[in-house]
Amino acid sequence: MMYRLPQREGEWIDRTRSLAFTFEGVRYEGFAGDTITSALSAAGVMILGRSFKYHRPRGILSFANHDVNAIFQVGPVPNVRGDVTPLADGMEVLAVNTVGGLQSDRAQWIDRLGRFLPVGFYYKAFNSKRFFPRWERLIRNLSGLGQISVDAPRLQTPKRYAFCDVLVIGGGVAGEAAARAAAATGAKVMLVDESTRVSAHSADGVDVLTSSYVAGVYADRWAAVIEPHRMTKVRAGAIVFATGAIEQPIAFHNNDLPGIVMAGAAQRLLQRHSIAVGRKVLVVTTHRAGYEAAVALLDAGLSIAHIVELNSTSVAPDLSSLLIQRGVKVVVGDAPIEAERNAEGCVAAVHFAGERIDCDAVLMSGGWAAAAQLLLQAGGKTAFDDAAQMHLPSELPAGCFVSGAINGLFNAEAACMEGRTAGRAAAEFASATVPPSGSSIIARSSSPVAPSPHRRQDPRGKDFIDFDEDLQVKDIENAIHEGFDSIELLKRYTTVGMGPSQGKHSNLNAARILAGKRGLSMDQVGLTTARPMYHPVPMKHLAGRGFTPERATPIAPRHSDAGAVWMLAGNWRRPEYYMREGESREQCIAGEVAVVRNSVGLIDVGTLGKIEVHGPDAGAFLDRAYAGRYSDLKVGMTRYGLLLDEAGTIVDDGVVARLHEESFYFTTTTGGSAGVYRDLLRLNALWGLNCSLVNVTGHRAAFNLAGPRSRDLLSAMTSVNLNDGAFPYLGVREGIVGAANARLLRVGFVGELGYEIHVPHSHAQRVWDGLVEQGRKFDLRLFGVEAQRVLRLEKGHFIIGQDTDGLTNPFEAQAGWAVRMQKPFFIGQRSLRLLERRGPRQLLVGFEIENAVPALKECHLAIDNGEIAGRVTSVTYSNTLGKTIGLAMIKPSLAVLGTKLTFRVTDGSTVTATVCPTPFFDHDNQRQKFGVAA
Amino acid sequence: MSATLQQVVNLARIGFKGPNAAAWLGEQGIPLPERANSWCVTGDDEQDICVRLGASEFLLERGDGNALRKLQAEIAAHIPGVYPVLREDCAFVIAGDAADDVLAQMCNVNFAALRAEAREAVMTLMIGVAVTVVPQGNAAQRRYRLWCDPTFGDYVWSSLNEVAGPYLIDTKSPGGAR
Repeated sequence: MMYRLPQREGEWIDRTRSLAFTFEGVRYEGFAGDTITSALSAAGVMILGRSFKYHRPRGILSFANHDVNAIFQVGPVPNVRGDVTPLADGMEVLAVNTVGGLQSDRAQWIDRLGRFLPVGFYYKAFNSKRFFPRWERLIRNLSGLGQISVDAPRLQTPKRYAFCDVLVIGGGVAGEAAARAAAATGAKVMLVDESTRVSAHSADGVDVLTSSYVAGVYADRWAAVIEPHRMTKVRAGAIVFATGAIEQPIAFHNNDLPGIVMAGAAQRLLQRHSIAVGRKVLVVTTHRAGYEAAVALLDAGLSIAHIVELNSTSVAPDLSSLLIQRGVKVVVGDAPIEAERNAEGCVAAVHFAGERIDCDAVLMSGGWAAAAQLLLQAGGKTAFDDAAQMHLPSELPAGCFVSGAINGLFNAEAACMEGRTAGRAAAEFASATVPPSGSSIIARSSSPVAPSPHRRQDPRGKDFIDFDEDLQVKDIENAIHEGFDSIELLKRYTTVGMGPSQGKHSNLNAARILAGKRGLSMDQVGLTTARPMYHPVPMKHLAGRGFTPERATPIAPRHSDAGAVWMLAGNWRRPEYYMREGESREQCIAGEVAVVRNSVGLIDVGTLGKIEVHGPDAGAFLDRAYAGRYSDLKVGMTRYGLLLDEAGTIVDDGVVARLHEESFYFTTTTGGSAGVYRDLLRLNALWGLNCSLVNVTGHRAAFNLAGPRSRDLLSAMTSVNLNDGAFPYLGVREGIVGAANARLLRVGFVGELGYEIHVPHSHAQRVWDGLVEQGRKFDLRLFGVEAQRVLRLEKGHFIIGQDTDGLTNPFEAQAGWAVRMQKPFFIGQRSLRLLERRGPRQLLVGFEIENAVPALKECHLAIDNGEIAGRVTSVTYSNTLGKTIGLAMIKPSLAVLGTKLTFRVTDGSTVTATVCPTPFFDHDNQRQKFGVAA
Repeated sequence: MSATLQQVVNLARIGFKGPNAAAWLGEQGIPLPERANSWCVTGDDEQDICVRLGASEFLLERGDGNALRKLQAEIAAHIPGVYPVLREDCAFVIAGDAADDVLAQMCNVNFAALRAEAREAVMTLMIGVAVTVVPQGNAAQRRYRLWCDPTFGDYVWSSLNEVAGPYLIDTKSPGGAR
């Protein structure tokens, strides 16, 4: 049983500050400076959780946040990493993955069914569709770590960017030396370490982030640093990887019993928290580190029962002799077979070939795996070093440097020297005007280990390779027998390395088994691809503070006052309609449509893209960019504009107005402005024409005043002569409206006499208010996006992206009239020539149904002889016309006036419609051209 | 660490663009930044400035609106190669020793590394919005002027307030980001 030692020099705990907490409902006390795990260990709590699959009792393994044995539920927060989470007063800690509590976990029977849960169990069991739901329910109920509380308060987790010349990952001996050496050159240095303490500090000129880890390294030395309460994205001039090495377990039966820990874990418990792992300690090792741990424990007064080294020749004869002199029995060339448990389920003894050794703690040291995952993510490469029995860096990307145990150096003095060299080299790289093309790997020495820590003795029992996933040696072997004999296949089939610790303790041993079984070298076997995240990252860190750009026109407050029901159009907030007391949504929309048809309505169209193009070549530019011709457009007139891509697909549309000989002003769709502007800028740079583009989308507000009385209303507010002769349909004029400089466009999108009024953003509210005030005489009503959709559909106008899709060309949209094929060149022209010859694959047509058909919706399919023949793109019931109208994209053979179309609605029934001409309303467009008397 | 936020509503603003814009502005007696993406003072202090956005586009901001209105009147005569740019931006000032921290949470540009004396202008995306940022002051008293499309004004202003919240000692808003 673990216990707390008397006060020791250098311990990290403050014994004057006791902290009370509960674990599984039982009250304990720890000290400030304890982690959850250390406090529990000091209190003698050996079983911290249950394993993922077999629900076996588990205790401390790495005490380095490298395994899932010590993860907890703390209040509403699941998966709290006990090894590194500081203890806090009043913490309520629970074990995870139990049914009915840790001690009496009702799922522990699964451990006895191991033989029925072979490797690849999911693939084998889920093969049957019939039983899939049953298995899914069962496994979902049994597995999982922690409980997500849907009632947990939402906490803001900021993200930030940071910049440094040198980022040092790892605050051990080598990392600290590197950080200090780099800082001494004047470089801006950031040091990141998982521990709560490192020796380097800001006085050294180093920005130290403790309790933090790098979760991923990306191109150009971007690193995602996870701090306790935020994520920092660091751009580094150079990176020193001093990430160390991860101690590996040794496989033997019951090697997961509580009390069996890594040798490094025992040392950390001792040095940081003054905790003894047991009163009678057995060390099982393949590496010098096991001897070093034994010496440290002996020095602290602990009793070492035995040291057993698996190698046939000792790797540390000096330490071996020292320990023998101090009365420790050292055995070389033997291996553990099975650990025996006591009544509490913890380790009580270990059986060897010829001996049973009593103990209450076992230290495993099965060699090391270089913590090279981040280096690999950065583009580095490793090769297996037979002497060190590790994958060591073999190629480093530019600006990346390594030092310390990751490079096979376990000697503190050598690591320190190498760290200094790496730090200086990194600083030099970061400060170089022309960075060197690569980084060299400094020569290393290493401490040899036995090539394989695993020695199989008994086919029964469980000897774990992957503690996260409860994978045993036989699971790996069986998978290889079943043909999953490459490292990537093996990983996916067995899930080795796919648990929260991402193979930190399992990948190397699994690769060794694979190499042994196939007779391959470790380099031939290779490693699985290292991908972010290196450690599990809380979702809140990834999400961060939410930034969702949202645009609002200057009229937004007026819309709210008028009862707008909002909708999102792209990133714009727009009024869908205006709610009226006592009226349904449909009634409100119908009322808005009616007032536009009969009197006058006002809609905010400030969301339209608005772009100017100036210069002698402005007309030529638009001729090349748009499908229509604009160089011959008269000053003071507008023309419809259709924008295509190189494939001839419709991507946007709008109205192009010629303000002056060399100045055009044009609109784009609401969602398209940014993309269109960007594309046009690119084309302008490409073509080198003498013209300049200006995007004034947000700087100009725009309203559409539409309806038979619109001219009467507007004339009271403007100096512009609105008579048809002076300002005809499709004209554009500049003048004053309500004291603001305005551009007026006579357009007919909704099919009525109408004026788009474009004014500077800062004047918008005043002009809007004036129109509304003036409109009282004409029963003006505001109308929203939905009413506008009905009005435009009555005119048969299509909406890009709704009535067209990512393949629709102008011929298919029946918009060939907007294309001037005889122009020398325009974007998409070449493709259109081919498409014109090929003929349309679909055509956009109008259809009508004599009655209301609420069941017919957009995207319902047209069916012809049992085959899909198209789809509805727009549909509505028109009160104006007294029938259902719509647009459908259908196969050309059906696009004949009078053809009966069959649409299948959601419930499977069919609706019959008739192909009819568009526009549905005011066929000859007299109303928008000349207006009608109200 | 502290920060102050301010919405700028008392300055007049105008833009010019085109191949002859620099020459024409020079003829009007407007001091111009020599380099692209930089700024210079056009009045008595750092309030009145001219920002060069790329090679041939300029943003002028001044306390004295009359001077800009005169330019606007001049350009109405359609000067070849000089085109007016309507600038209805929302403008903000963030100042204080926490200003860099605030911006670091909103944008991936390393503003702290910009030397104020270099008078650089940065055009970038901040929380998804295109902005122009000009660092002013000195290392001890850092100040950033920031412009964005007015339709994003409320969003940028509320985001600035949210991020800067823990540092704020003063916020000046005339009500609504305009």
